[in-house]
Amino acid sequence: MLKRTVTAILFSVLSTSAMADYPDKPIEIIVGYSAGGGTDVLARTLAKHLQQELGDDASIVIKNQPGAGGQIGFTSVAAAKPDGYTLGTFNLPAALALTYDRHAAYNTESFDYLANVVHDPNTIVVSQDSPYKTLDELLQAARENSSGLSVGLSSLGGNDHFSALLMEDAADVHFNLIPFEGASMARTALLGGHVAAGTMALSQTIGFEDELRVLAVLDDKRSSLARNIPTAKEQGYDVEMGSYRGFVAPADLPTDIKSKLMTAFSRLSENPDFRQELAKQGNLPDITTGDEYQQLATEQSDIAKALWESHAWK
Amino acid sequence: MYENLINALPAVLSLGNLLAVVIGVIAGICVGALPGLSATMAISVLIPFTFGMDPLVALGMMAGIYNGAMYGGSIPAVLLRIPGTPAAVATSFDGYPMAQQGRGGYALQVAVVSSSLGGIASALVLMLLAPPLAKVTLLFGPSEIFWVAVFGMSAIVFLLGGDVIKGLISAAFGVFISLIGIDTITGYDRYTFGHLELLDGINIVVLLVGLYALPPAVALLEEVRDLDTANTGRLNTTSIWQAIPGMLKYWKTWIRSSVIGVFVGILPGAGGSMAAFLSYNEARRASKNPQDWGKGEPEGVAASETSNNADTAAALIPALTLGIPGTAVAAVMLGGLLIHGLQPGPMLFRDNPDIVFGFMWQFLFAAILLIALGGALATNSFAQVLRLPRPLLGAIILALIFIGVYSINGRMFDVYLMMGFGLIGYFMDKLKFPLPPVVLGLILGGFAEQNLRLALRIGGGDWSILASSVASKIIIAMILIVVFMPLISRGIRRLKARPDAG
Repeated sequence: MLKRTVTAILFSVLSTSAMADYPDKPIEIIVGYSAGGGTDVLARTLAKHLQQELGDDASIVIKNQPGAGGQIGFTSVAAAKPDGYTLGTFNLPAALALTYDRHAAYNTESFDYLANVVHDPNTIVVSQDSPYKTLDELLQAARENSSGLSVGLSSLGGNDHFSALLMEDAADVHFNLIPFEGASMARTALLGGHVAAGTMALSQTIGFEDELRVLAVLDDKRSSLARNIPTAKEQGYDVEMGSYRGFVAPADLPTDIKSKLMTAFSRLSENPDFRQELAKQGNLPDITTGDEYQQLATEQSDIAKALWESHAWK
Repeated sequence: MYENLINALPAVLSLGNLLAVVIGVIAGICVGALPGLSATMAISVLIPFTFGMDPLVALGMMAGIYNGAMYGGSIPAVLLRIPGTPAAVATSFDGYPMAQQGRGGYALQVAVVSSSLGGIASALVLMLLAPPLAKVTLLFGPSEIFWVAVFGMSAIVFLLGGDVIKGLISAAFGVFISLIGIDTITGYDRYTFGHLELLDGINIVVLLVGLYALPPAVALLEEVRDLDTANTGRLNTTSIWQAIPGMLKYWKTWIRSSVIGVFVGILPGAGGSMAAFLSYNEARRASKNPQDWGKGEPEGVAASETSNNADTAAALIPALTLGIPGTAVAAVMLGGLLIHGLQPGPMLFRDNPDIVFGFMWQFLFAAILLIALGGALATNSFAQVLRLPRPLLGAIILALIFIGVYSINGRMFDVYLMMGFGLIGYFMDKLKFPLPPVVLGLILGGFAEQNLRLALRIGGGDWSILASSVASKIIIAMILIVVFMPLISRGIRRLKARPDAG
């Protein structure tokens, strides 16, 4: 009895000391994009607050490994040692979508999903001087246009592209998809009247209210940033798509480290300063952690897989 | 709007904010002058620190770095024929021959005065004309941009050098390099051989450093004769203030190149090197003695340096008003703004006038400071670098370019790639293949291809879309004039000559 108690106490002391030890050296967050980009700024903002939540003089450093649409960074997170000292940014659906349209050294199972932080729903958008006032008018025009209405988007295999594909399927129309290099180029072409419509994340339309007309938000509910813009669902098209920015670790983290990280991330979701800073940067904070995040990743991966199988784009 | 401009001034004039610009300009000249290091890199390094800084301090440093680096790139271009930045390639055409003739100091003075004037013009345009010029940017869709790229390619003719066939081979090599990477329109990989590192294409800095910097740096190691005092002694004889009056005759080039630089700046995605090539070409065309160009004509240095600095602030017009990160530097700067909650777009000017207009003032101050800091301080100290024993100088440059190329994406792959280009550059130099067409081919080839295909895709494969807008028609007319003008003027001369003979 005594022996068992002593062992139990010893065990708990040992395990707490192991937990108290983490982190005893800097934690690295690998960002698959260049310094100064949207994901990079998000990671740096998160790092600042996560450090405080982890306490014990935790320090976090950002390591940029840009290239191949983030794939180089995602790959090195998947391959890192799961000791809690390497974390990475993770952008859905793109990160998992690219495992279908090209060779990738990781899959959905390669990560421990810590927290999704930002959810940015896609929109169907036209310029303010466009003749199309509603989603139905736009889709009607697309039906009547035999060569396809031109729709600008940021790149193939991402949420912009998937939004257009899902909308095509839901409304049974055909768009002429024009992939620009980056969302801002697509938006500029839309503003200049070089394409008829566009699909871009809601955050890309913020600040352009006088220039752009958002016809639909592709989410299950209206966004708090645009209360007066109806969802596609309200208009009879069951389409949901958006971009998610979150944080993952290599799969199979030790349980105590994982739970310590999870606690820090969930406390972060209630941190008003963090939320405020995200909102100021134009990010829509929507924090889900752990299993819920993993489920989200699986869902997004399935959507991407289904789209790849029905609409292979190369 | 203009009262916002005045209201923003006092904050900019505070000691801390002014000091930030001064430090930025000095740092910019240094990174620009060191081959392999770039403004993009310097600003990226700065990004993490800007969280704790006052926005105007951070932005002031960035404005300074951007302006300083654009001039700094000309220092090694003139002294060693190693362009410090891609935009300084055109500066080396006449700058290096001048240095060989012992007029390197004057070349750098012309460069710094021109850079400064270009920067001032650009900053003024940004301050006064940003909203109307953003509308001009919107006129340029894929088909219009395609024609601008074709216009730029007409400049290749002048860069081909003596042997046209070799020049065309060089240009084709550059265009081939631009094909590498993912085809953004269909999503297929081209010439990547399964390497993820090649998917985004080849970074211009990797190519530039490999072709231009590596072979001469290795050659420096071989030079045993260590003190070239004959050359350095003559580098800088007069003070910059005495030299300026003699430069006033370049006023036409300054104005023309500023206009070209600003125009290229507001085009999304073109960049300072295109501005420099175009303006060098136009200045040469307008010159009375085009045969002297490439042999040490100071006006060539003036043309290229004016316009690559005129591109800087102008590139911020689409960046701030439309959120287009037109160049790598502008992209990082947008990140710097984002950190402070400043989101680009039409609302930025309304919601945060103090910071936006303050940032514009800082661009102006950075450009003005360039004359003092670049002319008086940096040029003299960098010229001292030439006093170093040649093998030591070569070793330092080699170390810098390895660090610089590695740190672009933080990977060795780019370093190996750069070494491969170095080997190619060595043989191209020995076999007398000109290097500038490679750079131009890489920049304009990709630009032209992508926009042509976007335009055709929008038009559903109908080629007539390329000439459907007024802007397209104007640029096509300009291209025709440029291409056929020499033929026509030769014809007119012959017609005139005939009655005289008869």
